[in-house]
Amino acid sequence: MNDGAQAAIFEPLRFRNLTVKNRLFRSSISGRFDNYDGSGTQTRIDWDVKFARGGIGTIISSNSPLHPRGLIVPNYAHLDDDDKIAFWREIGRRVHEHDCAYIAQIAFSGRQRDVGGIQYEKGLSSTAKPEPIHGLQCERMTVQQIQEVVDAFAQAARRVREAELDGVEIHGCNGYLITQFLSPAINDRTDDYGGALENRARFALEIVRAVRAAIGDDFHLQFKISAVDDNDALFPWAGKGTTLEESIQVCKWLEEAGVDGFHISAGNSFPHPRNPAGGWPIEDVIRSYDTMLSSGTRTLRNYVLFRTPPVNRIFKWRWEKVARDRIEGINLPLARAVKQAVSVPVICAGGFQTASVIGGAIADGSVDGVSMGRPLIANPDLANMFAQGLDRAPKPCTYCNKCLINFIENPLGCYEESRYSSHDEMVRQILSVFQGAPLPAEVT
Amino acid sequence: MSADAIFQPLQLGPLTVKHRVLRSSLGGRWDNYDGSGTSTRIDWDSKFARGGVAAIISSNAPVHQRGMLVANYASIDTDERIPFWREVVRRVHEHDCRYIMQLVHAGRERILPGLQASPTGLSATDSPEPLNGFQAERMNVEQIREVIAQFVAAARRAREAGVDGVELAGAQGMLFTQFLSSAINDRKDEYGGSVENRARFAVETVRAIRAEVGPDFCLGFKISIRDHMNELLPWMRSGNTLEESVQICKWLEEAGLDYLHVSVGGGFPHPRNPAGEYPTANVVATYDTLISSGSRTFRNYLMFRTWPLNKGFRWWWERPGRKHGIEGINLPEARAVKQAVGIPVLVTGGFQTASVIAGAIERGDCDAVTIARPLIANPELVNMFAQGLDRAPRPCTYCNKCLFTFLEHPLGCYDERRYESREQMIREVLSVYAGAPLPSEVVGATQL
Repeated sequence: MNDGAQAAIFEPLRFRNLTVKNRLFRSSISGRFDNYDGSGTQTRIDWDVKFARGGIGTIISSNSPLHPRGLIVPNYAHLDDDDKIAFWREIGRRVHEHDCAYIAQIAFSGRQRDVGGIQYEKGLSSTAKPEPIHGLQCERMTVQQIQEVVDAFAQAARRVREAELDGVEIHGCNGYLITQFLSPAINDRTDDYGGALENRARFALEIVRAVRAAIGDDFHLQFKISAVDDNDALFPWAGKGTTLEESIQVCKWLEEAGVDGFHISAGNSFPHPRNPAGGWPIEDVIRSYDTMLSSGTRTLRNYVLFRTPPVNRIFKWRWEKVARDRIEGINLPLARAVKQAVSVPVICAGGFQTASVIGGAIADGSVDGVSMGRPLIANPDLANMFAQGLDRAPKPCTYCNKCLINFIENPLGCYEESRYSSHDEMVRQILSVFQGAPLPAEVT
Repeated sequence: MSADAIFQPLQLGPLTVKHRVLRSSLGGRWDNYDGSGTSTRIDWDSKFARGGVAAIISSNAPVHQRGMLVANYASIDTDERIPFWREVVRRVHEHDCRYIMQLVHAGRERILPGLQASPTGLSATDSPEPLNGFQAERMNVEQIREVIAQFVAAARRAREAGVDGVELAGAQGMLFTQFLSSAINDRKDEYGGSVENRARFAVETVRAIRAEVGPDFCLGFKISIRDHMNELLPWMRSGNTLEESVQICKWLEEAGLDYLHVSVGGGFPHPRNPAGEYPTANVVATYDTLISSGSRTFRNYLMFRTWPLNKGFRWWWERPGRKHGIEGINLPEARAVKQAVGIPVLVTGGFQTASVIAGAIERGDCDAVTIARPLIANPELVNMFAQGLDRAPRPCTYCNKCLFTFLEHPLGCYDERRYESREQMIREVLSVYAGAPLPSEVVGATQL
């Protein structure tokens, strides 16, 4: 690795209200480590601390539902009530011990609830049309419900500040509720919240203004957005969805409304062939997707397809084709375009794990920092390796996406056996996240 | 009615329990995936202790990772687990309630075995489990000795954790059943064939544990007195007869048992255990998650979804309960065992009426009863009995929704009719987490 790249990566990044020690962010990744009711666990704390210890400058939390109806999958720590503040304060305290900043990602799934849980039968959305891949059912939000969710975002953000964390990230991408409003491929409203771009952006802007009012002017607020929907990535007959030009316009409005930074992703669903770009691990999909059969009306069709050769091989080919040419930095052209249009820092997600690639992207002005998910699951110490002069980890992430596919049923971790000396070593490594579970004598 | 017979102490070998109602083994996926325990498990068990039961039989605690039924149950497979169980015991004892740990090896009956496990379960046979097609590997004699040693080590750990006794999970198709049952065990060596051979694994385990823990530690065995395999799958042989099982119970008694715990069914779940409804919608919503566990699960799943096949299956499943009644369905088997052995006999099966329980004890059908579902519905049931109630105002309906929900969601009573509203039900189900420690209280617990 050249010294320039290293210098660029380890240069502090100044947001308006927050300075972080380097340009490496842990993206929102998580695992079902918490209690079903949304209360947090020691395992979540230990999981996050692992990355702080690995030298990352900033951790963006797992998606934290700001209301039980907005969960994506149960067993994620919530920010839906003041009684959760103590938990988040403790995460912040533990992560800060490693000179790492902590930003809480506040989220509302909308109709994209992979496992909806027992509390609510249907998700909320801009539309009444079910989510198209799994057939997840939803109900069209009334204006009253929109206002309630806007207020819930503000309340959650206030809790983040009260928990003494370092900032808020609004989860506005990857097909979750805010995308469901922004995207013309999803939003079919005819009221003030649908139709023209200005109307589709109204919900996001109201959230940003309400959040800003709740946290004050001196607290960091960033927004994660899918710069393009690529709604036709899998189904060529579908519309493209939000274009880059539209997203740039939305980002400008969001900046005016009080956003201090942008986090660029892509795709109006999750997962999406662009995010996380990489492999489609057929065996793991078959093993894990069964859990989702009860979630939607199209899941059985999908499951049969995933099991059936050669249809599943064709699907895999189609899925992997989208990012065949480029995985690491797949979203850099999008981030660059946004960065040229706004004046606040821009960070970007998408397969980063090579210091020279990251340093180069920062040096050439494409981005101000990068966020990493899968490569850090594989190598939690990646930032320390960069600091020691390595350009890449000796055993890099293979983008196989087995981590993503496994987490619904099994603990999140790296499931690429080729990266370990044996299957047993892999299992030991994955289960090590539970080693810090408190002994009961100490919790009473 | 008189509940007097209930509120008499009972001697289970060296262990005295204050009366005749015990909580049966029931779990919920409360613990960590690696088998380490959580405070939720402790709070869950404490709830029943507070409700007045004389003793709690723990959730099935795997003696080895390969013996797990379902991931997220606290295990007893290493010494590291001892402090957790010590704390469970301490908390339960606060309510003058005894704690018996149930030790399990699931054998081939692995519903969601988790990623630690090898692709096959160990068993007496290499035929897969017949309903779901869970794959099995026939144990050689060396492996049998290893598993016995795992049980012995687990019993030693349990004793070190201060539990009041251990119970071997030998019913409902677990590994012991797989050896005991003539419908499953197809071995030609000294562990298969005659009743004596089929009982050898269980008898050797009981002897080995007794030798390890000494005479002053309570040791029980839960056994399916009749397999009734053909009530599940009509083309199968029924399995052990009453006479064979009674003989096995006598041998187990000789080997050093302090009590027998009577159940039925050569698999789990089984139409007789837990007897009751087959809630089709809940089954469809939950069974999906175990499709990847077996070779016949997808066939089953499609059948469970498809009318009228699912109606037919439901009719077939509910038949034994309709025919024999649910509360006390296993009393004839318990009576037969009790007449043949000298040690106390516990029996499970839908108990929730004080007069029925007292009557069974007075008639000499059993010495005590164990309760699972009715306690999920009414954790305070025994306190209600003590206050003179014959039944809870809102009894368990035997709808079995608890059973057919716990794989994906928190264990609890999911019969909405028992609540004022759905919201109240959700609140009640989720209340098990209310005692989760705040992080400020766990600080310092870990030094990683």
